[in-house]
Amino acid sequence: MKYHVPQALVAGHEQTGRGLFFLALNAPQITQAAVPGQFLHIRCGKGDDPLLRRPISICRVDKEKGNVMLWYQVVGKGTSLLSQVRRGDCLDIVGPLGRGFEPVTAGKTVFLVGGGVGSAPLVFLGNELAPEKEVVAFFGGASEEMLLMPCLTRLENCEYATDDGSFGYPGTVIGLLEEQMKGKMPDILYACGPQGMLREVVRIAEENSIPLQVSLEARMACGVGACLGCSFPRSKKSGGGWARVCQDGPVFWDWEVAWDDGEEQ
Amino acid sequence: MTAKNSEMEPLLGVEIAGIRMKNPVMTASGTFGFGEAYTDFFELAELGAVVIKGVTPEPRIGNPPPRLAETSAGMLNSIGLENPGVEKVLGEYLPSLEEVGTSVIVNIAGSTVEDYCLVAERLSASKVVKGLEVNISCPNVKAGGIAFGSKPEMAAQVIRAVKKHTSLPLIAKLSPNVTDITEMALAVEEAGASAVSLINTLLGMAIDVRTRKPKLKNVMGGLSGPAVRPVAVRMVWQVSQVLKVPVIGMGGIATAEDALEFILAGATAVAVGTGQFVNPRCCPEIIAGIKAYCEENEVSAVAELVGAAWKEEARG
Ligand SMILES: Cc1cc2nc3c(=O)[nH]c(=O)nc-3n(C[C@H](O)[C@H](O)[C@H](O)COP(=O)(O)OP(=O)(O)OC[C@H]3O[C@@H](n4cnc5c(N)ncnc54)[C@H](O)[C@@H]3O)c2cc1C
Ligand SMILES: Cc1cc2nc3c(=O)[nH]c(=O)nc-3n(C[C@H](O)[C@H](O)[C@H](O)COP(=O)(O)O)c2cc1C
Ligand code: FES
Repeated sequence: MKYHVPQALVAGHEQTGRGLFFLALNAPQITQAAVPGQFLHIRCGKGDDPLLRRPISICRVDKEKGNVMLWYQVVGKGTSLLSQVRRGDCLDIVGPLGRGFEPVTAGKTVFLVGGGVGSAPLVFLGNELAPEKEVVAFFGGASEEMLLMPCLTRLENCEYATDDGSFGYPGTVIGLLEEQMKGKMPDILYACGPQGMLREVVRIAEENSIPLQVSLEARMACGVGACLGCSFPRSKKSGGGWARVCQDGPVFWDWEVAWDDGEEQ
Repeated sequence: MTAKNSEMEPLLGVEIAGIRMKNPVMTASGTFGFGEAYTDFFELAELGAVVIKGVTPEPRIGNPPPRLAETSAGMLNSIGLENPGVEKVLGEYLPSLEEVGTSVIVNIAGSTVEDYCLVAERLSASKVVKGLEVNISCPNVKAGGIAFGSKPEMAAQVIRAVKKHTSLPLIAKLSPNVTDITEMALAVEEAGASAVSLINTLLGMAIDVRTRKPKLKNVMGGLSGPAVRPVAVRMVWQVSQVLKVPVIGMGGIATAEDALEFILAGATAVAVGTGQFVNPRCCPEIIAGIKAYCEENEVSAVAELVGAAWKEEARG
């Protein structure tokens, strides 16, 4: 079930780093219905500009309080307006949207690989899986202030990588992952982040024959599968043509995606 | 004429091309999928009619991404008529619309006159379909589409040919990308269209100054949303004054006030496209808003408002 909540109360809003914000919205129906990997479609302004909603992944839910939490980065008009809302304001949201991560039953060890704000949906997934699985999260960012720290992820095993070496492993999250995989292999990989990073994770998963699910991004209009605007190429193996990122995804198995035809974003 | 008894419910029903609609609000083709996407937000039965996505004889893969770009108060799309082809639409999508409690109208498209005829003939076999909206105006398809939509004699040719292959009422969907919209409208009416829909999207483009490339992979696309509304209202105003058949108005409708503007300009019914992307409950809210307007202004039937603005002007 998808809900339109025209007046979701802003229950909390804090800056976590340079241009990065953690936002809590009160929407009990959405917290009940949501599964990791799904997103909210948010109206960032009140008027006609920006016109369209913006998709933001669900980062955590607090079912008791009925709060859904997001972690987002200011990159343009919409997210910049969003960053100005205050506790007590209301936001017009639709959700939960999309096909989320498929939890695996087999195996014990789960690795999460997140680049930048791509870590957000993996935090939700990690929290859902943690009681039963051994979850290790690998999160990368440009510098320390671009990372989401354990006080907000609520994940026990978070390993970090920073490009400038200001925190954790000096280098990319891919470097960190490869380093760790020398010691321990996961039974499944889940990844979200920039396309370049995702392609590297796809390579690593293939080389080691580890199943992988990725969360993809595309520009969206409707967010509910109606407009066919958010296309991403499907692999031949999964039927070819286009997948709708909003409805068929945003989460896909790596083999469902025709990586070579995808737009560099 | 105003209602004597303000307690009376205003009549919202209208008739388009012989299709009776319980209210004048329908969905715009290509913005509502095959009717399944918005069912969590409202019942299809609340709508005056549902217009589903453009259908071609064979499946069409559409244009490569990115297919969307937002512009001020509007958006560009270059979907390129992606659809599963008429056979799959008949077999898989239309049966689920059989008992939705509203009229189903299918938008049809093609690259040749024969394409349109074939789709029309196949869809006539379905008892679900109540009318065909003939898209002679898609800006995103190179062969056909807009070519038919910009020359009156070619538009008329499509309508005349399709009419021979179906007994379903035909609604001609016109392109705004022409110099004289009334000329186009008169040509399709003369050819046998039972109604016209306007407007389809306006051809436009946007460039990313950072990458110095067009934002759409297809370079150009169709502009929709509030930004196009004044153009659409003007065209409805012009066309409704010269046609005998009814006009379905669309282009940037997001509120009841917007819809009423089109009705006053001469539209018998209205369709909502981009507005739904912004507010998934846009259609039911518009229906309620039109009803409230009629009640407040003691209008006994919404049909009385059609073209009221130019009728008023003529009266002086
Ligand atoms: C399913 C999904 C989940 C997402 N989850 C998150 C999240 O949890 N946190 C978060 O910070 N962001 C997330 N995003 C990305 C977010 O939607 C965009 O950053 C946002 O829409 C930008 O809006 P804007 O108005 O601020 O930027 P605009 O002014 O629209 O654009 C600014 C710049 O960002 C680029 N850009 C905008 N949107 C995208 C996009 N979707 N993909 C690639 N480039 C883009 C534009 O090309 C432009 O250069 C997600 C996107 C999707 C599709
Ligand atoms: C994503 C998208 C897809 C569309 N696809 C079609 C189509 O298949 N056939 C058609 O006749 N019009 C199509 N249109 C045009 C709309 O039906 C409508 O005429 C136009 O968008 C103006 O209305 P709006 O501003 O309310 O969206 C499409 C519009 C959009 C935004
Ligand atoms: S955004 Fe409309 S189909 Fe995905």
